[in-house]
Amino acid sequence: MLAVCAKQPGLDSTVEERFGRAEYFVLFDEEKNMPQSIENKAKFESGGAGGTAVRLLNENGVDVVLVPELGPKAMDAIKAFEITAYRYTEQKSVREIIEDYKNGKLSKIDTSTTASKHGMYKA
Amino acid sequence: MKIAILSGKGGTGKTTVATNLLSVSDSGVLIDTDVEEPNSHLFLKPQIQKTEAIKKRYPIVDESLCDLCGACGDFCRFNAILPAKKSVLVFKELCHDCGGCQMVCPNDAIRYKERSIGMVYSGHTITGHEMHYGELTVGEISGVPIIERLREITMDDDLVLIDCPPGTACSTVAAIDSADFAILVAEPTPFGVSDMKMVVELLRDLGIAMGVVVNKDGLGDKDIYQYCESEDIQILGRIPFKKEYARKYAGGNLISQVDDEYKSIIEGILKQVMSQKEVV
Repeated sequence: MLAVCAKQPGLDSTVEERFGRAEYFVLFDEEKNMPQSIENKAKFESGGAGGTAVRLLNENGVDVVLVPELGPKAMDAIKAFEITAYRYTEQKSVREIIEDYKNGKLSKIDTSTTASKHGMYKA
Repeated sequence: MKIAILSGKGGTGKTTVATNLLSVSDSGVLIDTDVEEPNSHLFLKPQIQKTEAIKKRYPIVDESLCDLCGACGDFCRFNAILPAKKSVLVFKELCHDCGGCQMVCPNDAIRYKERSIGMVYSGHTITGHEMHYGELTVGEISGVPIIERLREITMDDDLVLIDCPPGTACSTVAAIDSADFAILVAEPTPFGVSDMKMVVELLRDLGIAMGVVVNKDGLGDKDIYQYCESEDIQILGRIPFKKEYARKYAGGNLISQVDDEYKSIIEGILKQVMSQKEVV
């Protein structure tokens, strides 16, 4: 199952600029070609939203996620849940980003792309 | 008597009032519980005689006992422990050290380890008083264990002045927990009054008697006086807004040591507060 960070539900939504506090995740089953949107409940957390968002993706059977950025804690969690992350850098629709992914235009990431939101914490 | 000096808004003059009250008291002790930004020591200039590292625990998971059931992750309100596919991740700086994950673990796989989250410094000030201040390490989520230690150290002292963190969050509640009386320092501005109302509510919830010191009197408007009158809150003193005071303060002075007029205002406040002792 593929997941994309999105501002609204649905394939025509614009992709999010954040991961842990993204509004929605649009889930896309490549075999069934069926999109399904889930609200990211982790966005309400006062701390540790990244790790909790990864847990939510895992519960929904996600094994590939397309992200704008990943903090150190979210990256640790992505690895521990054996999810693969690809990074997009453009503000497009979810549909277009999925196309970019399918065409091999997105690069895989395995280190965090942002500094921690928690001061001295080192990844 | 334990006297908390607090305010809703930052920068109203808590530390200025607290440090000057200490300097005119006979035998007071001051604790600076604003551990995210302590600065009473900048004015009191203590000779540090003792430093103590404050520890907090975080969980360690024994993977040979853990069956990844997920109970710890479901329990933790702070997302500090995250059971994943083959291991359990611990984000130790998110941990509040509540002990809950160990209690809910059915396999007894959780132990705790200690780590330092900040320091407590103790010494004697230039005025010869005893003081203790805490400092939370940057990036740590909560200074409450440091504040509790500061209160513990001064538990048996007769007169303790508690320089509190601003606002009404957990750290303020921890600082005023054992206070007998609260001095609410407020500015006569719309912001000052609005933020002060939150503290009044907090103090009433906790049943702590209070009085108000209006700092920078002459600024803003008269709303603070109307509010105090309508809520029946005693005004303990008014400190005028004067460039001269600002200059002395900015030079790192205890204003009451270099300004007689200021000193008599502070003495007046202390006297008013001490007369509450019989009431408390």
